[in-house]
Parts: sequence; structure tokens; C-alpha cells
Amino acid sequence: MLSSEKRSLARFLLIYLLSTFLLFSVASWIFYRSAKHHLLDRQKETLKYRAEHIESLLRVLHHTTGKNLPYPDGKDVQSAIYDVDKRYIFGSIKPTQSLKYRDKNRLYYVAKIEPYYLGAAYLLISKTINYTPIIQLQKNIILFMVAAGIFFTILGFYLGRLFIAPMRESIERMNHFIQDTTHELNTPISTILTNIEMIETFGKEEEQSEEFKRIEIASKTLSRIYDDLTYLNLNNRYNRDIIILDMSRLVEERMVYFTAMAEAKRLRIVTTIVSGISIEMDRNDAFRLVDNLISNAIKYNKPNGMLEVGLSKKAFWVKDTGVGIRKKDLGSIMQRFKRANKSEGGFGIGLDIVSHIVKSYGFEFMIHSVEEYGTEVYVTWEK
Amino acid sequence: MGKIVMIAMVLSMLLSASELAASQISLQNACLSCHEEQQIPSELIYRRYLMKYSTDKRMGKAILHYLKDPKKSHSIMPLQFFLKFPMKKALKLDNTELKAGIKQYLEKFDVKKKFVLEK
Repeated sequence: MLSSEKRSLARFLLIYLLSTFLLFSVASWIFYRSAKHHLLDRQKETLKYRAEHIESLLRVLHHTTGKNLPYPDGKDVQSAIYDVDKRYIFGSIKPTQSLKYRDKNRLYYVAKIEPYYLGAAYLLISKTINYTPIIQLQKNIILFMVAAGIFFTILGFYLGRLFIAPMRESIERMNHFIQDTTHELNTPISTILTNIEMIETFGKEEEQSEEFKRIEIASKTLSRIYDDLTYLNLNNRYNRDIIILDMSRLVEERMVYFTAMAEAKRLRIVTTIVSGISIEMDRNDAFRLVDNLISNAIKYNKPNGMLEVGLSKKAFWVKDTGVGIRKKDLGSIMQRFKRANKSEGGFGIGLDIVSHIVKSYGFEFMIHSVEEYGTEVYVTWEK
Repeated sequence: MGKIVMIAMVLSMLLSASELAASQISLQNACLSCHEEQQIPSELIYRRYLMKYSTDKRMGKAILHYLKDPKKSHSIMPLQFFLKFPMKKALKLDNTELKAGIKQYLEKFDVKKKFVLEK
């Protein structure tokens, strides 16, 4: 699966699961509140029955004369009687507790008594809440949420794959096209370049006309596109041969390689290459990195402009006095197939390749650009 | 100064003791002795007041009202009660004595003292 597919799938799953979770959470909360209320109501119902029973016992007690009046309380409940002014008379509930006092771990019920047997106008009855059924309810809801979460994650994953299928097909089609194109380009490019080299080696100087140089530039451009497409086609998955690479020599070689292209645009070339700079890197990656940055600087430069290529112990940089990049495009310029300026040809894959290489090696990439003034790019490997 | 305070305290104590004694005498003589003689159940009357008025304050007010102006309409007892027991005359006691007597009466039969929690 491509990284763009993974990103799309992850985004879809995130939105889908978050909205589903939110919906289920709200529904579960409403259900929990309602079910808990129902459970507490059922427990409170028993308090009402107990209150009626105590009231009937108070009636009997009211007509009893004797030294002591045994208060009719139960073992599982606590109660107290209050006079018509809501002052405490007696009970198993503490005298400090008013009719309005509430302990959140207990259930309360206030029954009015009429007539006032033994002076009692109100009967406050209370019992500890039985949390067992409520805890069981919470467990069931959590279990349901977990089960629903698993189910909707699986469903979301399949739905997501279903939705990104057209995107996947189009990417695959494009990849096949690139694969076929590169395959078809390989032979003629190799033939042209080999023959140019042969002419350069064995041919006469007068034969190297302007037209011949143009053919050379075009062939090199084609060769570079071919290399880039091959690199993309392998999708950054090939065995890298990490060696101690003489970057100074490589950059100088590539400058020679691009000289014809730069001269065609009459660019003033400034090189600041410190000799003897070596870094641990795959040769092909280094080629792709340097080539893409230099070719972009030539391609988007203005005629008679300036091209500066530099290499130091810490960084490699390329500066041009070209068309520049709009500020709003700077953030997305590294994306594949993104072309901020369509005045020149290309597939918009150069900076995507640079981005892949920079990430792979943990380098730092910086780009400064002012529209119509030029662009500066820096690849830093040592901080 | 100390002597004056001492004298005042002694006088106050003596006055309270005499008032208490007077009210006890007036309750027993003016009310309960007659009730006992005629076998009128004092506790039953107290329970009737309690069932209707709930608090000592409200009961005291109702009893005082009856004692000052004894009428069937002011009594807590049912009309049939007066077929057996004749309507009493108003007591020749002043307001303070009546209130003290009522307080004694309410304290004597107070149910709060009798309540016990079942084990």
C-alpha cells in the first residue's frame, strides 16, 4: 500500500471511528442514565413500602401507653420522624440530619404523616444504594462499546479500502504507464548517448555543431528523466550500497554533465565546492539528489541568470535567479506530481525524490524562494 | 460588690425554687388531682393534642386557649366525652401560672423521652 493510500485510509478511519465513537458514547450515556434511574427507582419503591409499614406501626404505638415506646425501625433501613415544623423528634438517623440533608450514597424518601401520630408529621426513610446492579450495567455498556468498537473498526477498514480502490487503480495505472515508458525509453536513450560519446571521442571538432549540442542536452535530459522514473518505479525500495562517497568529486562531475544545459541558457555558473568532502551515502541516491536540484535550478532559471552550486563540510546548496516559487506553493512543493510552475516541462517528481532521499538519510532540507527573484535550496547533513 | 452579687444569686435561686414549687403545686392541685379523682385519662388527652398539633408550642397554645375559656368547641375531646364528664370551670390562675402548669403537663407526658430504639 502506498503512503498516500495509507494516509487517506488513516484519515478516513479516524473520522469514521471518531464520529461513530461519539455517536455511541452519547447513546450509551443516555441509555446508562435512563437505566440507572430505573434501577434506583426500583430501589426507592421499596422505601415507599417500608414507609407505609412504619407509619402503620406508629399508629399502633400512638395508642400504646407505657414506660417505653419502641421505635419501629427495620434492619435494612434507617428512619426518623420530624414534627410539623420539620424539627427532629426521634429515629435511627442522626438528629443532626435535616429533612433536606442528602448523602449521595444513600436513597431517601420523605412520607407525610396525617394525623400526627406521636407528633410525627414527616417520616424520613433512607437506605444505602445497592451499587451491584449499577456496576453490572456499567460493565455491560463498556463491553458493548468495546465490541462495537472492534466491529466498526473492521467495517471501517473494509469500507475505507473500498473507497480508496479507485484511487489505488489510478495510481497503479500511472505506475504501469511509468514502468512501460521507462522500459521503452531505455534502449533509444542508451543508443543515442553511446553514439554521442563515440562521436565526442573519435569524431572531429567541427562536427560538434550547435544542433549536435542540442541533441546532447535533450538526450541527457531524457536520460535523467529515465533515471528519476526508474527510481520512482522502484518506489524507494531497492538495496542501497552505502559507501564513503566523495561528494566533492561527484558534484564536480555533475556540474560538467550539466554544463551544456547551463550554457544553452547562457547562465553564469558560480561553484563553491570544498574539495575532499565525503559522506556515507548510496551513489545513486547522491546522483538523484544533486541532479534534481541542479537541473531544477537550470530549468527554472532566467536566460543570462546565475547558477550557484556549493558544497561544504556540512551542506550542499544550489541557488538560482529564476522564476521562484509562490509562497502558497512552498508547503506542498515536495509532493509527488506537484508543479508550482508549468512554464517548463516535467512530471513534478524531482523534489519528491529529493524529499525521499533527505528523509531516508535524516538530512535537513530548507528552501527559500522569492517569486521572480530566485530560489535557494540547502541540504544539510551535519548540524 | 462581691457580696451584692452573692445576695442577688441567692435571691434568684430562691425565687426560681419557689416558682417551681408553686407551679408543681398548682398543676397537681389545680389539674391532676381533679383528673385523678374523676378518672379522666390525662395521658390520653395529651396524645390527642399531640396527634392534632404535633409540637409542644402549638399544643401549649391550644391548651392555654381552652383553659382560659373552657368550651366544648375549644376542647380536644369529642362531644360524647362531655356526656360523661361535665364541662369544667375556668381556673383561677394567672397567665404565668397557667403556662408553667402547661409546661409541666407537656413535660410529664412527653413521648420523646419514652422512645427507644429496638435492637
